[in-house]
Amino acid sequence: MPAVDLPAPRRGGAAAGWDPGAGPEEPSHVSGAGPGVSLRVFDAGLACCAVEVAAALRRFAGPAPAPGAGAVHVLVVAGTVTDKLAPLVLAAYRELPEPRRVLSFGACANSGGPYWDSYCVTKGADQIIPVDVYVPGCPPRPEALLGGLRLLLGEGGP
Amino acid sequence: MKPGEILAGLGGTLPGARVVAEAGGMVTVDVPRQDWLPALAFARDEAGCDFFDWLTAVDEQDEGLAVVAHLYSIESGLHLLVRTLLPAGDPVLASAAGLFRGADWAERETHEMFGVVFDGHPRLTPLLLPEGFDGHPLRKDFPLAARAAAPWPGAKEPGEREASARSRRRLVPPGVPEGWPPA
Amino acid sequence: MTGNLAERSGRAEPVGAAHGAAVPGDQEMAAALPPRSRGVLALFEENCTVCMLCARECPDWCIFIESHKQTVPAADGGRPRVRNVLDRFAIDFSLCMYCGICVEVCPYDALFWSPEFGYPETGIAGLTHERDRLRDWMWTVPPPPAHDPGAPLPREAQVAGPGTGAPSGPADPGQP
Repeated sequence: MPAVDLPAPRRGGAAAGWDPGAGPEEPSHVSGAGPGVSLRVFDAGLACCAVEVAAALRRFAGPAPAPGAGAVHVLVVAGTVTDKLAPLVLAAYRELPEPRRVLSFGACANSGGPYWDSYCVTKGADQIIPVDVYVPGCPPRPEALLGGLRLLLGEGGP
Repeated sequence: MKPGEILAGLGGTLPGARVVAEAGGMVTVDVPRQDWLPALAFARDEAGCDFFDWLTAVDEQDEGLAVVAHLYSIESGLHLLVRTLLPAGDPVLASAAGLFRGADWAERETHEMFGVVFDGHPRLTPLLLPEGFDGHPLRKDFPLAARAAAPWPGAKEPGEREASARSRRRLVPPGVPEGWPPA
Repeated sequence: MTGNLAERSGRAEPVGAAHGAAVPGDQEMAAALPPRSRGVLALFEENCTVCMLCARECPDWCIFIESHKQTVPAADGGRPRVRNVLDRFAIDFSLCMYCGICVEVCPYDALFWSPEFGYPETGIAGLTHERDRLRDWMWTVPPPPAHDPGAPLPREAQVAGPGTGAPSGPADPGQP
């Protein structure tokens, strides 16, 4: 029987044989974020929080146009960061162009959350990458993501 | 195949099999280790259980490791739980990957979580644990190190400023074995 | 007791604004949230006897309590009593999974749910709310939703019996 391996998750989520096409890694553009600033949100949807981020982006954002001046690239880490997946979160962060920010969404991404005592969970995304804003919740409401993005802009925006 | 016929069919070919429980369309069958593959083959070919759901292990501690497989017949709705017990010092079992393709990854996970060695598996490498992980986490003697290391906020008595040795009772948080970490 | 806590205390704005995390539109959101929404935990310190049940039962170990004992002399020559005085009560919302076990297990109704959800922080230490901030959240705790019509009386009202101010019938929400 041919050996089957668990394909290492890559950016774009492309597993063997699946063409991501216009997949989830395309950034979303949050409108109304402020004059002259566009937020390009990259959603690292790792677990349940991904559903809330998807709901938020679906409701309040649209596909991002080509990045122009004033674009801030935000990586939203939504969900539990496991030890096996941690290198890929780091790789996703490194691929972000400047100016870049990280928003940690949900208890698991903040600190490991309910799984802080697990044998395979990284206790928070900030163990791997620098986090700018922490949004608490389990899961946080989609509106809380907007609040977190606004706080992000308030800190670093015009 | 009706649940009542399972034992009749099994008993003919596998004398060591015992039907342990039968409720709500689910039949639990215990088989000795050497009859593991014949029991699964019987389930698939004779009892019509063509859907392999999952395979995992249960740490029975002193008695050993029990390996459990859940099979399901799409046509008749019969659930079959096939179990076998591996002795504590010798957790080796024949691999079911040749019978059910789905057993391939299930056995890889059971191997890394419990330490069961599946003879004949095409590639018994870790599936979910990161590289360099030491130990078999789902065994009962694998403690949650984070719980034992972090101070438990509930260890204080009411009215105590900090946990002191003169507490009347030493409260151990759930999930930490008694006496861990070893002094 | 009528009116919600916010009105009675005279502070009706959500405290999120005071901590730099104001989200425009939260007031409209609050009206749209279902009853008993779990946004943040509020502590009513006067009810807390420091029994430590919440800290023990929390599955995440995110409640931190420190206290000391205090002897209260009796007023008129009676026996002096010893009571627990709360020094520190903190909830780490970076760990909290909003399960509500602490609220359910508290025998003295010192913990309440509030639907406020907009309190992101730029530093993770800011997600640990101390006593004063947990008290501030109390002003955002809504009154409990009305009982369903036809529901049986709560136990306290059943036991109290007639003539003690308890409502006489089951379908009588909104009365004290």
